[in-house]
Amino acid sequence: MGKIPPSFRSAIGNPNIRNPSSLFRPQPPSPPSKPFPPTKKKSPKPIPQQPNPLFKSPNLEDAKKIFDSIANSSKDPRFPNSLLHSYAKIATSTSDSVKFLHHITKTLPSFSPDHSTFHILLSHSCTNPDSNSNPNSNSALSAIHQTLNSMRAAGVTPDAATADVSVRALCSAGHLDHAVDLIKEFASKHCPPDTYTFNFLVKHLCKARALSTVYAFIDEMREKFGVKPDLVTYTILIDNVCNGKNLREAMRLVSVLHEEGFKPDCFVYNTIMKGYCVLSRGSEAIEVYNKMKEEGVEPDLVTYNTLIFGLSKSGRVVEAKKLLRVMTEKGYLPDEVTYTTLMNGMCRKGEALAALALLGEMEGKGCSPNECTYNTLLHGLCKARLLEKATEFYGVIKEGGLKLDTASYGTFVRALCRDGRVAEAYEVFDYAVASKSLTDVAAYLTLESTLKWLKKAKEQGLAV
Amino acid sequence: MLPQRMKKAITDNPKKLANLIDLVNLPSTLREFVGQSQISRLGCFMSVWSYIKANNLQDPNNKNVINCDDKLKSILLGKPQVELAELPALIKMHFPKEPK
Repeated sequence: MGKIPPSFRSAIGNPNIRNPSSLFRPQPPSPPSKPFPPTKKKSPKPIPQQPNPLFKSPNLEDAKKIFDSIANSSKDPRFPNSLLHSYAKIATSTSDSVKFLHHITKTLPSFSPDHSTFHILLSHSCTNPDSNSNPNSNSALSAIHQTLNSMRAAGVTPDAATADVSVRALCSAGHLDHAVDLIKEFASKHCPPDTYTFNFLVKHLCKARALSTVYAFIDEMREKFGVKPDLVTYTILIDNVCNGKNLREAMRLVSVLHEEGFKPDCFVYNTIMKGYCVLSRGSEAIEVYNKMKEEGVEPDLVTYNTLIFGLSKSGRVVEAKKLLRVMTEKGYLPDEVTYTTLMNGMCRKGEALAALALLGEMEGKGCSPNECTYNTLLHGLCKARLLEKATEFYGVIKEGGLKLDTASYGTFVRALCRDGRVAEAYEVFDYAVASKSLTDVAAYLTLESTLKWLKKAKEQGLAV
Repeated sequence: MLPQRMKKAITDNPKKLANLIDLVNLPSTLREFVGQSQISRLGCFMSVWSYIKANNLQDPNNKNVINCDDKLKSILLGKPQVELAELPALIKMHFPKEPK
């Protein structure tokens, strides 16, 4: 089994081990730490928390009536913004929202729209149904432009935060090319985007476009507008090429990083290490780890998890176990991902019982196993032909209402059938379908092909 | 590993998936059993299996064997006893491959 077994795939999906997300969490490009002016965040809050939405129909006239009836009920200067936010959420077109804003300014002369007002409009201008109905049309971009125009008309100059809101709105609606156009337009007309916007866009480009497009974009931004890629940009790029298993390019990027005068941090190292680990190149991952220590960069939980993953994957479970001790000594508490990773490695080596013992140790330390842990063990026990233990384990999974993953389901069904316990295999099939672990089709195809294989094996006198 | 191979088989071979989930006009024997005029092979398997469970047709001594009642006999070649392992194959017989 050279590849990552699917039982492990969800462990990688776990935010604690998946480097891309944990990499960027402490750094600003993720939405929670948007560099917004504080008003943007505060103002929309009061309304969404209300149990009943104020505006029930996207009809403009209805909304105006509701507004008129409550227009003077609050003296809070943020009040009109909140109303605008809740209307823009359900409005069918941007022009309706803009008209609603005009109506507010007319009714309440004391209210003058500011940045946050228009940011509300911008963040909603791509989510309206009519701009989404045709993804190829320019309607999303024109909705943004419409809002920007009325913004300028109101005497509010778009700033970096405006660019950020617009780009995020366009990207979340899937209009990546428009977002790129818009950021260039912004840079030439108003102000260059800040690093958060830039990195956000680079990240999205990496996901959806060819690497050459991303490089071209970065070069253009650097040459025309003086926006320089920073360490986070490079981390995003390295992560992207590592995911594409293009380690040579990753190494080139690391050398570029040095040339530009950046000192790689923990995140960069973790990313490179992950690149090696996914390709089962444990020794190189260890080298990176050593280099990291030489450079005086403190490894974190992700580093250890990645390394244990890589070592388990390349079959060096003993070293992985040693690392588990090292990390505990350094004061990092192994989490369920660490343990699951290690168990996975043990199971691959056929040491399912040792993995089971590790489960005991894990629970003893107060770390509760997750779905993936159970699936890994079920898979491992079946592979090690410890069917009784596996059945016991299946009982635990079922009791906890946990889902089976494709690999452990398939292995378990095959193990049961091989043992002539077809009825139990059917029961597992029922559970998999009932718990929505797999689609009916996938569950059935596994069962069918297993039974077909069983019949053949019986004919050849191989099975019970 | 099989699951991956299977996933590949499904994506590579939409026809194989289609003959599992496409609705098929049923022959009269099956029509009586499922109470519908059209059903997919998967749906048919599910309804037969749930019929077995609902009527406790599994042999109490050997759960791997089904004791067919008259209704079940009518669609499973008239056998008095059927092994659970044969079930998918027996049901598949009602869904012949469409000649190209």
